[in-house]
Amino acid sequence: MPQETIIGSANKADCRVTITPSNTLQIEVATKNRELLETGIRAVATKVCSTLGIEKGAIAVEDQGALDYVIAARVEQALRIFSPKKIAPVRPSVDRTRSARDRLRRSRLYAPGNNPRLLVGIDLHDADCVLLDLEDSVPPAEKAATRVLVKHLLATVQFSEEVWVRINPLDTYGRDDLAEVLLGQPHGICLPKAESAEDVREVAATMARIENELGIPEETTWIMPIVETAKGVLHCEEIAAADDRVAVVAFGAEDFTRDVGAARTQESLLFARSMIVAGAKEARVQASDTVFSNLEDEQGLIAETQLARDLGFDGKGAINPRQIAPIHAVFSPDEQEVEEATRIVAAAEEAQAQGKGAIAIGGKMIDRPVLDRARRTLKLAEMAEKGGRR
Amino acid sequence: MKHALGRDIPAQLDGRILKPFTGAFATVPTGTKAARHQKTVEPGENKVLSSIEEAIEATGLADGATISFHHSFRDGDRVVNRVVDACAQMGIGDLRLFPTALFPAHAPLIEHIKSGVVTRIDGSMNGPVGAFISQGGKKLKTPAVLRSHGGRWRAVEAGDVAIDVAFVAAPQADPYGNATGIRGKTPCGPISFCAVDAMYAKKTVVVTNDLAPYPVYPFEIQQGWTDYVVVVDEIGDPESIASGTLQITRSPTRLRIARLAADAVKASGYLVDGFSFQGGAGGISLAATKFVGEEMARAGIAGSFAMGGGTSLLVDILRQGLVRTILDGQAFDTDAITSLREDKDHVIMDPGQYANYDSRGCSTYMLDAAFLGATEVDLDFNVNVNTHSDGQLLHGIGGHQDVAAGAKMTAITIPTLRGRLPVIVDRVTTVTTPGEVIDVVVTERGIAVNPKREDLKDRFQTAGLPVRRLEDIKAEADRLTQPPGKPVFGDEIIALIEWRDGTVIDTVRRVVGWE
Repeated sequence: MPQETIIGSANKADCRVTITPSNTLQIEVATKNRELLETGIRAVATKVCSTLGIEKGAIAVEDQGALDYVIAARVEQALRIFSPKKIAPVRPSVDRTRSARDRLRRSRLYAPGNNPRLLVGIDLHDADCVLLDLEDSVPPAEKAATRVLVKHLLATVQFSEEVWVRINPLDTYGRDDLAEVLLGQPHGICLPKAESAEDVREVAATMARIENELGIPEETTWIMPIVETAKGVLHCEEIAAADDRVAVVAFGAEDFTRDVGAARTQESLLFARSMIVAGAKEARVQASDTVFSNLEDEQGLIAETQLARDLGFDGKGAINPRQIAPIHAVFSPDEQEVEEATRIVAAAEEAQAQGKGAIAIGGKMIDRPVLDRARRTLKLAEMAEKGGRR
Repeated sequence: MKHALGRDIPAQLDGRILKPFTGAFATVPTGTKAARHQKTVEPGENKVLSSIEEAIEATGLADGATISFHHSFRDGDRVVNRVVDACAQMGIGDLRLFPTALFPAHAPLIEHIKSGVVTRIDGSMNGPVGAFISQGGKKLKTPAVLRSHGGRWRAVEAGDVAIDVAFVAAPQADPYGNATGIRGKTPCGPISFCAVDAMYAKKTVVVTNDLAPYPVYPFEIQQGWTDYVVVVDEIGDPESIASGTLQITRSPTRLRIARLAADAVKASGYLVDGFSFQGGAGGISLAATKFVGEEMARAGIAGSFAMGGGTSLLVDILRQGLVRTILDGQAFDTDAITSLREDKDHVIMDPGQYANYDSRGCSTYMLDAAFLGATEVDLDFNVNVNTHSDGQLLHGIGGHQDVAAGAKMTAITIPTLRGRLPVIVDRVTTVTTPGEVIDVVVTERGIAVNPKREDLKDRFQTAGLPVRRLEDIKAEADRLTQPPGKPVFGDEIIALIEWRDGTVIDTVRRVVGWE
């Protein structure tokens, strides 16, 4: 039995949980405003212990203003490490409506899964997808604690749009990530460094197996392969078409430029971007562009987002909530586009009412893809309106 | 007896008959204001004294006296401690302090409270002194009385508080007693907060570290009010006036609140030519002010005035021509002080002009929009800025009541959670400002509109803003934490919270336990 287990940190919005051996269950709480908060924090810790069937151990919670789900996650992880025998993870109850495969995904906001302070309110920035990250932003020593934290967050926070989790590649921590975070029932899983159809199928099969074990309805959790290597770019077509769970193919430019030894210019990325768009669209799934990492350069962000939209991307990554509004603005149709789309849809409805097969405006024939795009434009416009300027 | 908001206010306390709060504009003042005793000087009389001690002696300051101070040096003030130390050494005690506000720098007062040199404090106690009093460190002879900027001015004029000696820290003064805060070796910004003290005190002492040739102006403090001028080495540190609340927030949550607040102003219909607003300190208010300024620039709005505390941000807004004027009661950074000297349209304004209930007009009544903070807000839109959820008295009222009562749209900009503590509660620990003068509460989870402002609600909804019921916002935040414990209050009242008209809107009682 380990003598002492420590999980968490002394950072703001986090807590540090220390467990030492004891013949009885003891829970000590240290926090600012102890008189107000001690009882609540102890209740959270006690509940985790009883859920896991723990009856022994001296647990000390040093709180820095952590929310309940953070405390629960830290206590759970500490107990799992401390316990001499393997204990099954907490399986929280989750109430989440599944999302449509082709819903709007103009923005995907990355958030480091290991930083409680940056996770507070992450659901409130109007991002179409929030991506809780277990991969690049999390050092190896924190991988296990992070996936438990993300699970508890998923179970607690009601996302009004979509929430996804970026797992680690399957050959590192990805399998353990899936086993834990699927308990929180995210809308989708992002697979980094996807390089082949096989990579995607393996994730899909792993997900199916876990869902089966857990009794979660199968095949309702989407996959977003992230293409960020030369090999991945050359296999976009098969990656996008690998499984019905694939809803979006995303581009990761930072790793890609490193992989091929390119500078990060719009020209150097053009081939990869076009490959991803073509591969995704051939498979009838969405394409989402890479993040723009200079937070201070809003004009640069807008220009790059415009370029992505022109190339056929449906959305773009964001590293900070303040990038959401500019990205949404670019992906929102302007008045002229809405007007044209309205005319096309009206003409189609009229043609259908009259039982005509062909749709024409002013003698010009309207193809099916044009009509589909017009419908999408109107949906985007409606969405943009609903979200105000943000 | 319970008043309009259901708070229990004793009928009288230590001989003072308490008038309970009856409504934001319900009190009709009658009678006349107090007056100062008459006095004249002959040409050639000398007012200059060489030390604080000499001034204490000259004013006849004795046991039981009421002495007053301004807070324009904020946490950099050196005069309050110096004067009280001198009184203690001269054997004078049982003093009542009547500061416009106290700050952490005044923690040494705690020793004087313990020893009986100071037995009463009427004024806001930010930080250690407030904590000491609320924790029962020592019982004051009478409860502290907290007043808003305008409420304090009114109280002096009405004779509610009779000041024996006003000590006016003056960055520059002339030998005849004219003084200003915006010039001198260590300018701190306007010192007009205590103009009413200087006008009404039995004796007024200007304390300066920069005695300049006659005349020193602007005449924030006038020769006609001043009995003595004392020259000392040090009165305060202007670097400390920016006490930490002047960085525009970088927190995404707080930036979202500021953005929503600015969007609410934009949608309110008030953002047209002639627009006026109050931009306070504090990370969210500053960011909201910045966003409103950007919106004005984008839409080509020619505003009328912005109200301080002056900050470099407001100065930028003035210099860009987005407003014609800044009306400034106190400076929150050194850029604002420089601007007060250089920009003719950056104007000093005393609380009598901007906030006095018992007057024929307040500048706050001319405001379109204001962003204010809170420690707690309740479901009736009542706001607490004085105590924390643990019941401790830690903050003054500032101009909160005065601005909220006046502005056409008062927005409380708050996060729903501070750490684990909910900010929206069923019932505020202390009512500072009644819900009837609060129009909207802006949080990261949406905007709640006071039911009496259906007009604003319609406008916000039309603009696509996330309008929600305060109850729903609260419920969403409450899901994230176990409910906190609550302080149990005893009978002993440690402070009265006055509404700006002199009625008592709430009491602060000593915490005796927890539930």
